[in-house]
Amino acid sequence: MITIENLTHVYPGTRKLAPRTAISDLTLEVKDGEFAILSGPNGSGKSTLFRILCGLALPSSGKVSVAGFDLFAQPAKVREVMGVVFQSPAVDKHLSVAENLKIHADLYGLGGAGFTRRRDEALSWTDLVDRLDQQVATLSGGLARQVELAKVLMTDPKVLLLDEPTTGLDPVSRRNFLDALHKLQKQRGMTVLMTSHVFAEADDVDRVAIMREGKLLAHDTPTALKAMIGTEMVVIQAKDTEGLAAKLRAEMGLAVRCIGDEVRLEETENGESLPLLEKILERYRPEVQSISIKQPGLDDVFVHVTSKAVPDHALAIDLKRTGT
Amino acid sequence: MSALIRVAAALAKREFTRFIRQPQRVIGTVAQPLLFWLFLGAGFGGSFRPAGMENVSYLEYFYPGVMLMMMLFASIFSSITIIEDRDAGFLQGVLVAPVSRLAIVLGKVVGCTSIAMVQTLIFTIAAPFLGLHLGFGSLILLLMGFVLTGIGFSALGFLLAWGMKSTSAFHAVMMVFLMPLWMLSGALFPLGNVPQALKFVMLANPVSHALIIIRAPFYYGPEALFGDGHYLTSLAVTITWAVLCLGLSMARVNKREKGVAA
Repeated sequence: MITIENLTHVYPGTRKLAPRTAISDLTLEVKDGEFAILSGPNGSGKSTLFRILCGLALPSSGKVSVAGFDLFAQPAKVREVMGVVFQSPAVDKHLSVAENLKIHADLYGLGGAGFTRRRDEALSWTDLVDRLDQQVATLSGGLARQVELAKVLMTDPKVLLLDEPTTGLDPVSRRNFLDALHKLQKQRGMTVLMTSHVFAEADDVDRVAIMREGKLLAHDTPTALKAMIGTEMVVIQAKDTEGLAAKLRAEMGLAVRCIGDEVRLEETENGESLPLLEKILERYRPEVQSISIKQPGLDDVFVHVTSKAVPDHALAIDLKRTGT
Repeated sequence: MSALIRVAAALAKREFTRFIRQPQRVIGTVAQPLLFWLFLGAGFGGSFRPAGMENVSYLEYFYPGVMLMMMLFASIFSSITIIEDRDAGFLQGVLVAPVSRLAIVLGKVVGCTSIAMVQTLIFTIAAPFLGLHLGFGSLILLLMGFVLTGIGFSALGFLLAWGMKSTSAFHAVMMVFLMPLWMLSGALFPLGNVPQALKFVMLANPVSHALIIIRAPFYYGPEALFGDGHYLTSLAVTITWAVLCLGLSMARVNKREKGVAA
């Protein structure tokens, strides 16, 4: 549904700044009816990719096709089948909920009985039904986001792009928003690509893509990605992180990594962690502040994949293993 | 075509609704030119004696000039909202919608023009008190003058505002750019007694031509005006100006930022 081939985007330099490569030779496919999450640290090129996908910017080179249309040659065709939810709100705060929906319907050529039916359908999962005449500025952040999503869903897009849509929402609103999104995506068979770095959001999606410095580092199902770093891991917080890591490597022969203020031993097999933990405690008790055994989550995968401490050849192995 | 009108009308309606919901904006934009007119009129009234216009008071001379100012400033400063639309995020939602880029420009321009029209029309109430009486034909020509001026200059505002980072930059540019154009249009003083060099500037100034098509209907009927070379020239210039600014705005919206070769 969305096919990105060898996409490269270089921002023009200025007198003081050299040209900057935001996306470099990126190839990625989101299949029909798939819910995909695109993630990556700040400055990884996610936002640039998003701007290109919704047709607001043209890349330096590469091809993108959406629903079979060439995004750069036939942007008007793509706009017809695509819905976009931006990170910053695209509703007019000074207008009421109903007025915002009406404008959106007019933009998409939706009118008459079709409009009323689609509008009621799009509002059915929201808490907006008795707030239609309220100005959006007076709504809470969560409700304003609902307007945003209701608006986009009203035009029944085949492809939906969302840019960190849950930013600024409390955990309950976030959950409600995502539940509604997942439900509608399944019902309608929409293809969804959502950028996010909140991994609590990623567990029930079809695929997760992780970018760093404009390159795709991993692209697989959440289960396969988690398998990448084993089923258990030992996480140690120490007074001297680097020092302890060095000792563990030299004296115990463990392949530990330092990430932030933690020493991590990933890829331990089931049942191996506890004896290891005991052994480490026995030898280095005074240096350890806390030690725990953890089931890796997607955020650990993210840290593992995007951490700059990982040499490129190690990544190559990881990628091979996940089949990307 | 119908899609173009539907989209432009929806966007223009939004523009107008937002304007009405901000009463300070309505009051401010009507009161400012009114005060300008009354104070300048009272101040210059005694010393205004241009050759050949002995029986025209300054209040009367300045009246079409103030109307022009209202159209000009109200339409240009309404198009400043394009910057707010972009910063608030509304604009990106419109840009990704399947609508023609011309409709996006027209929606804003028509919205801004109608806002300016409302203000200027309130001001027309003063005409009878100055002894100016408009026939039906002249009134239509006057309205046409307002619409053309509004479209041309809101499109100019759109074009300038599109690439600007902040509303304060827009204000600054408008003050150095627009104020002199208005002053050199003949709105404040007659074109008769200025140096030759300035005269050329006045003729090349689109605002001068807008003034002519706004001032003339107060004194002449449609038959006289359509037989007059000066009026027709100014009309043609104003129409060309509007089409040019609309076209350039559309090209600007169509242009997407592009990455450079690696």
